[in-house]
Amino acid sequence: MHFSSRHITSKRIQEISFVLAVLLAAGRLSGQEALMLHAMPEIWHSNTTNPAFFPGNKKIIIGLPGYALDGAHSGDITYRDLFVKTGDRTVIDFGNVIDRLDVTNEAYFDQRYDILSIGLRLPGKILLQAGYANGLSGTITYPKSLPELLWNGNGPYVGQTLDIAFNADVYDWNEWSIGLAKKFGDLSIGVRGKLLTGVSSFLTDPTHTSASIYTSPDIYQLSLNTDYGFYSTNIISAIDTADLGFDFKQGDLKRYAFSKNTGAAFDLGLQYQINDKLSVDVSLLDIGGSIRWKSKANRFLSQGNYNYEGQTFPGTDFINGSDSLDFDAKLDTLNDIFNFVKTAAEYKTTLPLRGYFGASYMLNKRWTVGLSGYFTHREDANNTFSIGGLARWKPLGWLSLGAMYSINRRSAGNLGFQLVLKPGPVQVYFASDNLLNAFSVKNSSAVNLRAGVALVL
Amino acid sequence: MFFKPLLRFSIMALLCGAVWQSCKKSEFEKVELGEHTAEFAFPLFSTNLQLKDLLFNILNDTLSGDTIFINPDNTMTLFYTGDVAQKPATDIFKFLGSGGIIPLFSDTVVNPIDAPSGITITKAILKDGIITFSFSNPLNEPITGFLGIGQMTKNGAPFEYPFSLLPNETDKAYGPYELDGYELNSTSNELTFQYAAYLPDGTKIIIPNSATGFPSVFVGFDSLEFSYVQGYWGYQLYSLTRDVIEIDINQTELRGDIKIVNPKVTMRVRNSWGFPTRGIIKYLSFIGQNGEELQLESTAFQNDGTNDYVDFDYPSYADGEVGQEKITDITLDDSNSNIADIFNLQPTRLIYELDGVSNAQLDPNLIGFMTDESILALQMRIEMVLEGSAKNFGAEQTIDLNFGEFGSLDSANIESVEFKLVSENGAPVDLNAQIYFRDEVGNNVDSLFDVGARNILNAAPVNAQGVATGATRTETFIPMTAARFDRIRTTKTAYLKAYFTTAQGGTVPVKLLADNSSTVKLGIKVKKRMNGE
Repeated sequence: MHFSSRHITSKRIQEISFVLAVLLAAGRLSGQEALMLHAMPEIWHSNTTNPAFFPGNKKIIIGLPGYALDGAHSGDITYRDLFVKTGDRTVIDFGNVIDRLDVTNEAYFDQRYDILSIGLRLPGKILLQAGYANGLSGTITYPKSLPELLWNGNGPYVGQTLDIAFNADVYDWNEWSIGLAKKFGDLSIGVRGKLLTGVSSFLTDPTHTSASIYTSPDIYQLSLNTDYGFYSTNIISAIDTADLGFDFKQGDLKRYAFSKNTGAAFDLGLQYQINDKLSVDVSLLDIGGSIRWKSKANRFLSQGNYNYEGQTFPGTDFINGSDSLDFDAKLDTLNDIFNFVKTAAEYKTTLPLRGYFGASYMLNKRWTVGLSGYFTHREDANNTFSIGGLARWKPLGWLSLGAMYSINRRSAGNLGFQLVLKPGPVQVYFASDNLLNAFSVKNSSAVNLRAGVALVL
Repeated sequence: MFFKPLLRFSIMALLCGAVWQSCKKSEFEKVELGEHTAEFAFPLFSTNLQLKDLLFNILNDTLSGDTIFINPDNTMTLFYTGDVAQKPATDIFKFLGSGGIIPLFSDTVVNPIDAPSGITITKAILKDGIITFSFSNPLNEPITGFLGIGQMTKNGAPFEYPFSLLPNETDKAYGPYELDGYELNSTSNELTFQYAAYLPDGTKIIIPNSATGFPSVFVGFDSLEFSYVQGYWGYQLYSLTRDVIEIDINQTELRGDIKIVNPKVTMRVRNSWGFPTRGIIKYLSFIGQNGEELQLESTAFQNDGTNDYVDFDYPSYADGEVGQEKITDITLDDSNSNIADIFNLQPTRLIYELDGVSNAQLDPNLIGFMTDESILALQMRIEMVLEGSAKNFGAEQTIDLNFGEFGSLDSANIESVEFKLVSENGAPVDLNAQIYFRDEVGNNVDSLFDVGARNILNAAPVNAQGVATGATRTETFIPMTAARFDRIRTTKTAYLKAYFTTAQGGTVPVKLLADNSSTVKLGIKVKKRMNGE
């Protein structure tokens, strides 16, 4: 990393910031938490939470675009804190957030576009379903010292060792799915297979996760210690350390419906109608889900201890004038401080195993109460759980409203909200597990919302 | 009934719009850092210098005869040495000339040996040269005989060659004969040439002169060179040398008070002339900072009432020291001269001139010698052990600069810079310095310190013997506005003006040891406005 005044202004920081910014909007891959959506089984898109869900008495369903966003940052950092509008540009302003960061910070981001989906009710109480969706998931943990360094430079941190390594797991994929559900009396069983095609990925190598910089109080000699690696497909295709730079070369982020980076996952769900008023359900999603990244997949590894002590002049040259004080030559030596070595490497990212369970009790024609729960499990992280209690009110045949109180790992006091409109054959919904931030996404440290449209015939 | 579908559509549109506004990707596609100020710190250079290297480099820049000697105790002695004034004896004392023609008007001719005034040769050995004879016979009958030089022998045999002349034969030449190895012996500084000529009937004759009166016999010498001459050496005065020794450490435009402990001037004479020689000191003075003469006075010399002099040691013929070289050292120090006082005035050069006198004591019995390799070499040397004290002793140096990337840097957004100069000084000397940054034509553009020179090296602590016992670290922060930095980073040279003061303010003598070293390091902090980069 260069700290000449030229380099510190270069694209390098921009690129690092880009990666950081994207990842700040990402987080531990907990999977998309959709308690509210799950609590709306008559809505077509709720099928994504349990393949056994199928709107009653409908023969053909066309799922139009649905969008879901779930993300959060530790502490109280919001989008507006970090991204500031200046003129027609949006820029990163670490100055607003640095003081509020923890020593280690965590963020996650899940985004899902359900592009198109179809459901058919076949004879024999068989329900056929298929769909195409895009997903983007990310998680990052980063030390406070990283944005401090990027924003303030190393000058204020003379004599301190700054940890600058962040851990990230971000990937973007297509999901092609096909599934079946069948009713056995009051029990519905659904199963769905999913073909996953990876678009892009960035995954920190868990065996190489350290990078630090130390600025000596002597004359600011720099020491960088790195044992840092990551895998990347398309997000970063090269790191150019030539010509005094440290530039990330961005890969081809164009989304292709299919790629050689493939994987599969399975969903399994049950719904049981205990009586006219009470039903329960449970599902497991993304069973065995993973993507193997093979195409344009690379591993970048930086290992070494780099000390930059400036130029060393022989004292004799200095006093007899036989040499000049040439600052230029030595700056070049910083070029390869990180010296990332790129090698083609296959790797695998694993989708977390997710699951929902729920119960719904119809109090009367207009009121329903229920319970909805969610969990995730992945091998390299703690399991997460959330649970909420729901009340739904259906004042009109085409309108229903709902509210939920839920507890998750971030907060013990989330007040959710749902709105469903059914004008004719159209289903429109909006739901959030946290009403307070649903309409102020950019001013909240967490966001959870989803909306979608479907035609039901 | 109409408003129901409209309401439903409006709600749908609102929801879709809200979602889109919240999550459109374009905002992430051109991520840049917002405007802010950042500060970057990084090292520029470091350098380490040992005192011996410093002095060696100073000396390399100056006279070739200068040298520095590291003593066993790591102290250093600085020598300024004048040229060696080397006089071969043959340059001053010329014998025999290069040759000549000697007419023999009779059968015995005594011819004086060509020798410098006051010198009588008793023995000479030739290493080169030729001899030829020319005969004419004015008689009508043949002549036979031989010609010899009885004082010239080789391997014990005298020089003698026969000749034979036909009647009326003219200009008959014999030779040339090589004279290498012949030895001349004379008690009177003369050579005797003799011939014996006989008619056919055995009558010994003197060959008559020619009708025109010219002698009929000539002896010619050519290219005579001797390898050894021995004889009586009388009084003779001649010029030996005049030279100047530059003392360059005192030749800056800068001034200061410096005291050198026990400076010395030594005169060394290497002499293989085989007779007594006296060096007459015609001039021996230092020249001060302002051109004034500072006469070096010493009791080490003798005085003849007019001049100081010194008698050089010499190889003695009487003692069988032919071929040897004798050395005479004369040392002028603060015990026998005023040199210490002179050095406190930081003289810039020493000028000296000597004449030579042979047999100054006019010994009438003196037998001396010289060979073709006899030389008298005289050299003066100034010797300073680097021990003493100094107050604001000045030095200067011009250094080329190349700021490289910094030179062409767009500094519009630089708010300020701050240099950090760190020294770790193991020498018992303070350094007070200022650096003037200069453009291509040598004009001062700016200076490193805006309030004058500063102490950038502080002397190491010293013990009672004046020896440094550790290192002293000095940190100097040099803040600079962007405008000043802009000016400086485009300059091409740096002119260093430095003043040295020994430990404790120059009040105690210190020893400068060869391994005393100083490290100087420079780092920089740059505060820069970052504009969306």
